[in-house]
Amino acid sequence: MEGMNRRRFLRSAALTVGVTASGVQLSRASAQSRKPYADARIKMSQVSHAYADALTAKLPTFEQQTGIKVEIDQMSFPVLNQREDLELASGSGAYDVMQMIFIRTGRWIGAGWAEPLNAYIDNPQLTDKAALDVKDFVPGAMAPFRRGETIYALPWLADSTVVGYRADLFDKAGYAKFPETFEALQEAAQKIHTRQTAAFVTQDNLHWIFPNWLLSYGGSFFANPPSDLTPTFDTPEAIKAAELFTAMLSKYSPPGGIKLDASIAEAIMQQGKAACYLDGMGNTQHIIDPKKTTLGDRMAFTDTPRGPKGHFPQLAVHGYFINKASKNKNAAWEFIKWAVSKDTMLSAALNQGHLAGTRASVLDNADVRHKFTWRGSDLATLHLSVMKRAGAGYMAYRTVPQFPPIGDRVIIAMTAIASGQTNVIDGMKSLQKDAEGILEKAGVKLRGKG
Amino acid sequence: MSSQRQVWTALATLLLILVVLSPALFIVQMSFRTGRDAFQMPPTLVFRVTLQNYADVLQGKFVRALTNSTVTATAATVLALVLGVPAAYALSRTRFRGAGLVSLWTLSTRMAPAIAFGIPFFLIYKHLGLIDTRLGLVIIYLTFNLSLVIWMMRAFFDALPRSLEEAAYIDGAGIVKAFSTIALPLSAPGLATTAIFTFLLSWNDFFYSLLLTRSEAVTAPVAIVNFMNYESWEWGKVAAAATMIMLPVVALSAIVRKYLVRGLTAGALKG
Repeated sequence: MEGMNRRRFLRSAALTVGVTASGVQLSRASAQSRKPYADARIKMSQVSHAYADALTAKLPTFEQQTGIKVEIDQMSFPVLNQREDLELASGSGAYDVMQMIFIRTGRWIGAGWAEPLNAYIDNPQLTDKAALDVKDFVPGAMAPFRRGETIYALPWLADSTVVGYRADLFDKAGYAKFPETFEALQEAAQKIHTRQTAAFVTQDNLHWIFPNWLLSYGGSFFANPPSDLTPTFDTPEAIKAAELFTAMLSKYSPPGGIKLDASIAEAIMQQGKAACYLDGMGNTQHIIDPKKTTLGDRMAFTDTPRGPKGHFPQLAVHGYFINKASKNKNAAWEFIKWAVSKDTMLSAALNQGHLAGTRASVLDNADVRHKFTWRGSDLATLHLSVMKRAGAGYMAYRTVPQFPPIGDRVIIAMTAIASGQTNVIDGMKSLQKDAEGILEKAGVKLRGKG
Repeated sequence: MSSQRQVWTALATLLLILVVLSPALFIVQMSFRTGRDAFQMPPTLVFRVTLQNYADVLQGKFVRALTNSTVTATAATVLALVLGVPAAYALSRTRFRGAGLVSLWTLSTRMAPAIAFGIPFFLIYKHLGLIDTRLGLVIIYLTFNLSLVIWMMRAFFDALPRSLEEAAYIDGAGIVKAFSTIALPLSAPGLATTAIFTFLLSWNDFFYSLLLTRSEAVTAPVAIVNFMNYESWEWGKVAAAATMIMLPVVALSAIVRKYLVRGLTAGALKG
C-alpha cells in the first residue's frame, strides 16, 4: 500500500511537473508571440528636452509591453548636431532611432540616410494605422519630412515663434495690446527702451529670428525653393527687413544683445531686464517658471508681429527617423510609433510641460489648453495656428540642403550690420555673394548665372 | 621692505588673485544658488544657499561621466609616465644615430590641431570597435601625452649632472639601477609637474571625448554640455558639475604643490 502510494505520488508529481513545464512553455510561447521583438535592443539619439524626460519616464511600460530594450542617449543640441551628422556620414548603425533636425533634412534625406517609413506605416502587421493617425500631425509639422508621398520621419517637436512681453511695461507706455506690426513694435521700443530695461531681446541664432521680418516684408532666402534656389538677399524687400531687424538689435536690445545665447536672453527676461522677447514657443514655459523668476505674473504672450506682406511666424520641426544603417529597423519603428503616439504626446504635454507638440488632437485637448493658458493667452491654440499657417509652405527655405552654411552667413551678416561693421546695403550684397558662392560650389544652377 | 609697502603688496596680490580666480569663484557661488538667484545682477553676496544643484547632478548620469574622466585621465597619465619617462631618460643619456629625429617625431601628434586627426581616428576606432570605450580614450590621450612627457622629462634629465650616475656605475650599478635609484628620485619635481600637465590635458579634453564616445565612456567635460537643454540651460547643474570637475584638479595641485614650483623652475635651468 505504502509502495502504491509512493508510486502514485511519484506519478502525480511527474504529471504535475510535466503539466507545469508545458504550461510554462506555452505561456512563454504566447508571450513571445505577443512580444515579437523580445530581447531586441535599440539606441536612440535625442536632444536634452522635456520630451525625452517624458519618454524616459514611460519607457518601462513600453519595454514591458514589447520586450524591446531602449537606450535614450540625451545630449545638448550642438553635440547632437555634430554626432548625428558624423554617425550618418560614416554609415555607423550605432543609433537605430535618430532625431531628424529640420534644417538637415535636405542633406540627410537627400543622401539616403533615412529609412522611408511608408512601408512600415502601410503594413498592417507592423502598424495599426488608425491608432497612429498620421493625419493628426499638423501639416506644417509634417511638411519637412515628406518628399512627395514618401514620409521619412514623424514629428515630436515643432517650435513656433511667439512673442513674450511684459504687459505692465507696455501698458505703462500706452499699449494695452502688443503692437501688431514690426514698425509699430519699433515705435513702441523707442518709448520703452531705457538703460535699465531694454525694449527687446532675442537669441543669437539670427537665421531663425530674422526670417520673421524678412518674409513679412516680402523678402526671402531663395527665389522659389526647392525649384529655384537663386538667393534673394539683395532685393529692396530683404534690405528693408534687415534694416528694421538690425535696428532692433543695435538700438533696443541689452548691451551685447547681438550675441546672446537663447538661455541668456531667456534669463534677461526672467530678471526683468527686457520688455519683450521673440523666440520659440517651448521657451515660454521657462520664462514664466516660478523657480526662475518672480515676474511671471506680469508676462503675456502673443503672435509675432506682421509686415506689409503678411504674417510669417517661423516653425522649427524635429522628428524621429530610422537610421538606414540600423540592424533593428522593425523594433526601431515600434519605438517611434509609441514615442509619437497620442498617449505619449498628451502625457508629455500634461506632465512635462511639452507645449510645442505636433498633434492637433493633443493641442485641442481641453486639459492641455487649460494648462497652457497664461493670462488669457491660449498658447496651445496659438501654436496650432502657427503650425497650420506654416503648412502653406513658406518654411521650405529651411530644408534646402545648403541652408545650414547659408544660415551661418546670415548670422554673420546680421551681426556685422547690427554692430556697425558694415552698412545694410553692403552687408546684404556681401551675404548675397556668399550665398551664391555656397550654392555654386554645391553645383546648384542659379538664375542668370552660367 | 617697510610695513606699509608690505600691506600694499599684500592687497595688490589679493586683488590680483581675486581677478584671476573670479570666473571660477563665479561658477562656484552660482552652484549654491537657486534658479531665481543664479543671474541676479549685480550678484548679491548674501543669498539662500542650496545644495539642490549638486543633488540633481549626483542623481543623474554625471557621476558615471566623472568616473570615466577619473579612470581615463589617471590611466593615460600613469601609462604616459611609465612609457615616456624611460624614453626621455634614454634620449637624454644615450647618443645614437637619428636621436634628434626620434625626438622630433615624437612631437608629430602635436604638430597639427586635434581636429586634423579627428576623422582618421574616428574611422580607425569604428573598425576596431573602440568607439565609446574607456580603452579607446586612454589610447588617444596616451598618444598625445607621450610627446609631452618625453620632451618635458628629457629637459629635467638633461639638467641632472651625469657624474652622479657615473659614480653609481663605478660602484657596480647598471643602467636600470642608476635610473631608478638616482635619476628618478632626483627628478621627482619634474615628474610631479609632468604628471599634473598630462593629467590636466586628459581631464579637460573635450574634442576627442565628444567625437569618440557616446553614452558609456562619455567624460565629464562633454557630459556637462548636455545640461544645455534645448529650450533652457540648466545653469545650476552646469555650475555644480563644473565645480565638481575642478575639485580633483585643485586637490591634486595642492598635494604636489611643493614639487610643482620646484619642477617648473628646475626645468627652466637647462633647455
